[in-house]
Amino acid sequence: MARDDTSIRRRRYLKGAGATGTLAITGLAGCTLGGGGDDGGDSGGDSGGDSGGDSDSSGDSGGDSGGDATPLTIAGTVPDSGSFSSLGEDLRRGYELGVARMNEELDREVELILRDDESDAQTLREQLQAIVSNNDVNMIWGSFSSLLVTAGSAFAENQGLPFLGIAFAYEEPHRNDNYEWTFAPFPKSRDVARSTLGTLELIPEEERPTNVGIWEPNSGWGAEQAQYWEDVLGEAGYDVVMREVFELGSSDFSTLISQAESNEVEVLLSNPTPPGGITAVNQMRDNNWAPQMLKFVRGADPSAWWSALGEDGAYALMCPGWVPGLTGNGNAELREAFFNEYDTDAEFMPANVGGSYNLTQVAQQAVEAAGSVDPTAVRDALRSEEFETVIGTFSFEENGLPAEGELTAPTGQWWEGAQRLAYPDTDSEQAIDFQYPIPPWSER
Amino acid sequence: MVFSDLATQTIVNGLLLGGIYALAALGLSLVFGIMDIVNLAHGHMLMVGAYIAILVFAATGITPLVGMVLAMALMFGLGVLLQKVLLKHVVDEGLEQPIIILFGLALILQNLGRVILGGDARTADIGIPGNGFDIGIAFMSFPRTVTFIVAVLLIAATWAFLQYTKTGQAIRATAQNRTAAKHMGINTDQIYVITLGIGTALAGAAGALLSMLFPIDPYVGWSYLLKTFAVVVLGGVGSVLGTLVGGLVLGVSENLGALYLGGGYRNVVSLLIFLAVLLVKPEGLFGGSGGGE
Repeated sequence: MARDDTSIRRRRYLKGAGATGTLAITGLAGCTLGGGGDDGGDSGGDSGGDSGGDSDSSGDSGGDSGGDATPLTIAGTVPDSGSFSSLGEDLRRGYELGVARMNEELDREVELILRDDESDAQTLREQLQAIVSNNDVNMIWGSFSSLLVTAGSAFAENQGLPFLGIAFAYEEPHRNDNYEWTFAPFPKSRDVARSTLGTLELIPEEERPTNVGIWEPNSGWGAEQAQYWEDVLGEAGYDVVMREVFELGSSDFSTLISQAESNEVEVLLSNPTPPGGITAVNQMRDNNWAPQMLKFVRGADPSAWWSALGEDGAYALMCPGWVPGLTGNGNAELREAFFNEYDTDAEFMPANVGGSYNLTQVAQQAVEAAGSVDPTAVRDALRSEEFETVIGTFSFEENGLPAEGELTAPTGQWWEGAQRLAYPDTDSEQAIDFQYPIPPWSER
Repeated sequence: MVFSDLATQTIVNGLLLGGIYALAALGLSLVFGIMDIVNLAHGHMLMVGAYIAILVFAATGITPLVGMVLAMALMFGLGVLLQKVLLKHVVDEGLEQPIIILFGLALILQNLGRVILGGDARTADIGIPGNGFDIGIAFMSFPRTVTFIVAVLLIAATWAFLQYTKTGQAIRATAQNRTAAKHMGINTDQIYVITLGIGTALAGAAGALLSMLFPIDPYVGWSYLLKTFAVVVLGGVGSVLGTLVGGLVLGVSENLGALYLGGGYRNVVSLLIFLAVLLVKPEGLFGGSGGGE
């Protein structure tokens, strides 16, 4: 349409454009904060299930060692709504099963006050503040992703309360924030890199790929994880032929796919958001390209992976902290408790239930060792004790990291609609032999 | 698939994406050009259109290309309602009041989306068998090619509507001079209603197409508002041809920026284009000269 000179004057146009741009950018920033992608932790998954053949003991010795029977009150949040809502239920169920076990085995009443943080750090702080203000809280748990877990951690550090958080692999906050009360019973970036190498070593040497590509989200954890992968795999003789940064929350991976193909990437590693990971695989299919091995630590973790991708999502590896197929340290009891408690047709238990259940085992063993719910005593027990949980046996470093080398990051693989343990190798019926290589799209 | 040249493939991908950017921006451009309203809810209208297509697909398995038609019809109705109920009284009162109303509407749509559908991202599958085809210099993804063709057809249909129908001519006359148009017997109030209806319907169509390629969540409105505004600024307000060219330029620029500067700079490119054109040629490539129409 042709316009006369009076209809939009230059000044007015600029004014409108400027105002719109400012508001759009402001809104975009809000979007990133409020609904953006996962910046941190590992997400849970679908259709899990641990070893049915697991015959070991729970690892929980049972019984509070001290004479003090003061109730244990725990504050926590889970993302029941918002961006991470698909994982909230799994976290909650792991906590509930754990608290039920604690009430049976500890000589004190255990109460967990759990609220919805709406996948929002500010809401999380407000919820924790409300719980702590109205209750005599001894400990704090949760939630999901480094965005939320570090917010909860900061609150706990300020309150001087022991804090346990899973579902975040980012190590740097442990070192830079001088954590005194924060503990993470969860595999960290260095463990993820080591388990990636372990998974590759499951492939016969003559068939092993050499070219590794890393898609690095532009976040602190993205850079940290990419560097660990580059260092660990580089030292082991793999050739990192591609390491490209992309914007966290990006939905167009076409350029990265073209670059990966151009660089003849055989092993593709990344930690995108779950929606980003799903989109990336869809676009790989549309561009008729796939690597021989794919590990999306973030993207492939939740149940949404299979419901969105179906068979296109098969072969993908993930690292959600706990995977069906792990054995020992209470896995059999966890499986039994889960299927007794919840009405489900699933054969496998969701991965994040195991992760959060492991957290409750740590909490129980720390309180048992302390013989008290006094925050300082529990913190000291967390620092000094060794813990046996469904994810393994480990202790904590001074800064709350799981002691280096003690914890194996279990790597799962999507297979026939379920996450199954591919590494480390166990004799569980729930585990599978690592499926390699990924066939071309035309043969799937 | 053989990528004979990484840059060529990147440009082809950018062009295919740019077609949808252009369609997404067209509604914003028309409303701004004809009504002098900066529709801050445009990105969120796009999000609603995408959700309609996704929900239709989820409930019936019908391809989002069909859901797109329903999305356009419903969104047209929303645009009509918006003009008749909210904007009618403020449309000639300057930029500020409509901006505030539409900013509020954007927040309402975003939060309604979050409350009703949750915060999780959703997507729809285009349902076309096969992956794509090689044209020698580049690989053409089926979903991108199909959505590009549909987007360009819709843009062409809009242009033809404006050029060759009486209503379209009345819209253009109103855009040129509302007072004169009124004196010539054109019901300009009705023209505004139709214009906002069309603009909103086009946002709905673009959202439905985007849902086949990218995940949609209640917050995507802001990022698409920024992209579409960059396209409008680049192409020129109210220009259909300018919007198409602007969309293609933005799509290619983003992809080349991601290739040569790094993926972290993909969205920065949109913002830089937006600011550069605003400073150097604020009327856009086709603005103020007839817009090619």
